[in-house]
Amino acid sequence: MEGDHDMFDPYNAHLAGTRHTISRMSRLGPDALTCRVAVPDHRNSEKPPLVAIHGLHRGAEAQASLLAPLAAVQGQMVIAPLFERDNWPHYQQVVRKRRTDLALLSALDDFAIAGVNCTDGIELCGYSGGAQFAHRFAMLYPHRVARLTLIAAGWYTFPDLAPFPYGLGAPTSRHTFWQPRSIGLLGTFLSLPIRVLVGTEDDKVDENTRSGADIDAQQGRTRRERAARWVSAIEGAARECGVQPNIKLIELDGCGHDFRSCLAHPDALRQLFPDLELPQAQ
Amino acid sequence: MNALVSMTAPHETALNPTTLTRAKWAFTTRCVARDAAIGLCRDLSAAKPGDLVLGRVERIGSHKRLQLSVGRPAELYAGDLVIVVCGARYAPDQFEGLAELSPLGSDLLASGGVLGRMRSRNGKMAAPTRITPIGLLTGTDSIPINLAEYAIPLRPRPAIPVIGAVGASMNSGKTTAVASFVHGLVRAGHRVAAIKATGTGAFGDYNAYLDAGAHHVADFVDAGMVSTYREPIPRITRATDALLAGAASAGCDVALVELADGILQKETAALISDPAYRARFAGFLLAVPDALAAAGGGATLAKIGIRPLALTGLITQSPMATTEAETATGFDIASREQLRDPAFATVLFSRARFGTHRAHVA
Repeated sequence: MEGDHDMFDPYNAHLAGTRHTISRMSRLGPDALTCRVAVPDHRNSEKPPLVAIHGLHRGAEAQASLLAPLAAVQGQMVIAPLFERDNWPHYQQVVRKRRTDLALLSALDDFAIAGVNCTDGIELCGYSGGAQFAHRFAMLYPHRVARLTLIAAGWYTFPDLAPFPYGLGAPTSRHTFWQPRSIGLLGTFLSLPIRVLVGTEDDKVDENTRSGADIDAQQGRTRRERAARWVSAIEGAARECGVQPNIKLIELDGCGHDFRSCLAHPDALRQLFPDLELPQAQ
Repeated sequence: MNALVSMTAPHETALNPTTLTRAKWAFTTRCVARDAAIGLCRDLSAAKPGDLVLGRVERIGSHKRLQLSVGRPAELYAGDLVIVVCGARYAPDQFEGLAELSPLGSDLLASGGVLGRMRSRNGKMAAPTRITPIGLLTGTDSIPINLAEYAIPLRPRPAIPVIGAVGASMNSGKTTAVASFVHGLVRAGHRVAAIKATGTGAFGDYNAYLDAGAHHVADFVDAGMVSTYREPIPRITRATDALLAGAASAGCDVALVELADGILQKETAALISDPAYRARFAGFLLAVPDALAAAGGGATLAKIGIRPLALTGLITQSPMATTEAETATGFDIASREQLRDPAFATVLFSRARFGTHRAHVA
């Protein structure tokens, strides 16, 4: 399906066609991200874009397709970057060797040039590995994020002194750009609206679940357990920093670790599109 | 009678209109409306810092180029007519000079277009370029035109986060550090103002800030001073506030402010020793050329209650010197490469604003 789409010209985004058009934005340069972009027919240029980060199985196209219809209702553009396997094998850790934070910042600059409102703070969401990327990016650049929605992250960076990426302490790898001083940004991050979503059936350890004595002791064994612990840790850190936490754990009834069922769940959509006042799940 | 002008009064002369178009206008004159100049005052003894001077280049010396108001350097030739500004300069690596003019010839103290009397010069410097002042440009009121007339309005200090950059000396790497920090913060999505609050008018730092991507750039010339050397501290303080207000009006969410020369320089020392002036700043970077300067600079700042956010400057090009300085001072290090990194710049900015939150240990 991806090959059927027109190339997206970011400099003429306002000319996009029907209710929404999904296009591919290919940028030039060695570290350039290709993005799937859903442009609503009637775009609200004031509305910051919803930036959706795919999981380890990639699927930027699917992210854009699933989120585009509701985003279009509020005139919102969906940007789904593709961190290709070959170029960005550890994209979810953000600051390892090839810096995916810089790649996304650069892409956002291009969208800003095209008149997309990326300056008031993007709405950032991610599924699985994408949720890992999303919360780490927001920890580095909290001023660039207006709202953070994390869906089924496998594991998290905790607000403690464990070595990054498990915590905010000094990393053990010299190829990882992170330093304890990054803790200084924690206060701003903790004040963000953060929604952590996980399926009630996402309680199994699979081949993609990072496991081990240390991480299990810190975060729990399953995604469901880890989500709950991280939310609790963020609340505790916020209180310690004198910041009012704005974080909620939402369990998606009946969902396992499945991208489509999670993103189609009414409770997930209500969190991703709070302004639409979607009905409660039955 | 000078062929360029026609005499109308003992000390006052009407300007030949072609004179102004022939002349090379220095960068320090950039804020002045050229058509305001309609006459000349020949009484050079009345010259004040900031007065515009029509001069003729007599002998090319140390400064072989004049920085033009349009932002490029122009080659100077003997016989050139120039519009420069009467002013003082404090530059240990070049000249010290006073805002005094002589009909027998004056010294080009800075290539930005500062004319005065050299008092001392660094041993590596050749003699300054000599310029004969023909007169002070005057307006319709026959009063010499002064930069102060074109100063941005004085306004109260705005609520904008400000990070300062001070150095151990001239050429310690302050401007490179500020420009790098500007670039990093811009890449991270901030609207950044870069301000030179003290120093001598020139386009080097100004252009470096622009090149780094600053959304708003200004210096003390915009606040009506060609140089801050020997200017009253309250005037410099008011100018800093006006420049910061300009940054806030331009929509910037952070301002980086460079203070010229070293922290022992008279005006810089007075400013940072003043708690009320310091209160404008969320933190300071300290640029140093070597480890001993880091130790000395850190100790000097400690006496007035400043612990720098980080050491930066030339020292960061030497890993061994950097290690020495880290060991001696315990300060963090911020190299130009790090400052240009949006993640690093964001963290440093956040530390300046909020300090370092202690991590929550679960």
